[in-house]
Amino acid sequence: MMHKNTLIGLVIVAMLAAAAYLATGAETRDASPAADSGTADSTVCIYPKEYMQTHHMQVLADWKEHAAHEGPDAFMKTPDGRRFQKDLATCLGCHDNNRFFCFSCHNYANVKPNCWNCHISPQDLP
Amino acid sequence: MKKVFMPLVMVAVLSCIPYVGVAYFGMGYLFGVIIPYLAVLLFVAGFAWRMYDWLSRPVPFCITTTCGQEKSLDWIKHQKLESPATKWQAALRVMMEVLFFRSLFRNTKAELHTGPQLAYASSKWLWMGGLAFHWSLLLIGLRHARFFFIEPPLVVQLIERTDRFFELTLPAFYMTDAIVLAAITYLVARRLRDAKMRIISLQTDFFPLFLIGGIVLAGMSMRYVAKVDVLAIKALMMNLAAFSFDAPGSISPLFYIHLFLASVLAVYFPFSKLMHAGAIFLSPTRNLANNSREKRHVNPWNKKIKFRTYSEYEDDYREKMKKAGLPVEKD
Repeated sequence: MMHKNTLIGLVIVAMLAAAAYLATGAETRDASPAADSGTADSTVCIYPKEYMQTHHMQVLADWKEHAAHEGPDAFMKTPDGRRFQKDLATCLGCHDNNRFFCFSCHNYANVKPNCWNCHISPQDLP
Repeated sequence: MKKVFMPLVMVAVLSCIPYVGVAYFGMGYLFGVIIPYLAVLLFVAGFAWRMYDWLSRPVPFCITTTCGQEKSLDWIKHQKLESPATKWQAALRVMMEVLFFRSLFRNTKAELHTGPQLAYASSKWLWMGGLAFHWSLLLIGLRHARFFFIEPPLVVQLIERTDRFFELTLPAFYMTDAIVLAAITYLVARRLRDAKMRIISLQTDFFPLFLIGGIVLAGMSMRYVAKVDVLAIKALMMNLAAFSFDAPGSISPLFYIHLFLASVLAVYFPFSKLMHAGAIFLSPTRNLANNSREKRHVNPWNKKIKFRTYSEYEDDYREKMKKAGLPVEKD
């Protein structure tokens, strides 16, 4: 009986270690290339329009997480090879030409995201 | 265990129908417009019919169940909720029942111990599970007002804001979603865990639970997992609320599963045990005042009794009575 408990304990420890390893993302760390400041191509969005309409919140949440961990190294590469800094300012760089860009849909759908708790809303800019 | 798996299979088949219909045959109009309208029509008509049927039954006596001191002499304390004396007190008691499941709070559980000794103890789990389930469903339902109104009422906005209080994920996580799933799990497990409960549970007990579970899961996966186009959905729902027959835009089949299962629930509602939603207001053991000593209750279908009073008798036989020497009241 003692032997079995030890075995179960070892398995749990191994699983915890594996979980910790995966959670830190140590195995996926790639040598981050030097941040060459590729200027964003402002004619096409990072994903197709249909995808962005339904999934933009997920992209923004991912970006927020990566930017918080990797800071200025947080870049995303689109399938066609363009590079974008993961930053809300990258989005607003193009999308602030219409200051109601976020709000027209969010108001219609009665969605109140918490982006502007910290970030300055385009509507609040002079 | 057929009676558990059959409803599960039925819900699975029901959720496949709109998926196949919309994804492969483009029947968005059928599942997005026609079926929801039919379902609401059947729901309203069925609900009204059931209520009319119950309301038209006479309730000749007050058969209030009481568990407290009824209204009596001034110096005896009257328990207004346990033994209501007026209509308002009875109404308050019904509302306490509806909103807080007051009598379920008194639920007890009997256990046979060695001895043999029978022990009773308070059992609040069903009360808690039921309360969590019903309140979550109510709040989730109210939250859906954002699809039917341009600007939902302030109460609904407050509920919505409280519900996403934790701000866990980016389409904000609603705590009622988690609570309703936990409550459904408990309510199903409660019927499966105990042998007595397994025996008395029927297919019709499991089916609504699985159906509501399916609706909740489809709704949650639209919000948290596979994102759908909310704008097209809102446009469709606003159209439905305005009784318009415009074709829906391109919406993910997942939404149609959610809508179709909700339509099935609406149709199923008036013909099933789910009618307890309306029936609880009509239960004569709860909604009547315990005033049988104060007020005379006459059974409305009793035949009119022809009484013959003594004065009438005397009027008929006065002369004969006088002749026989019997005393009369009037001369």
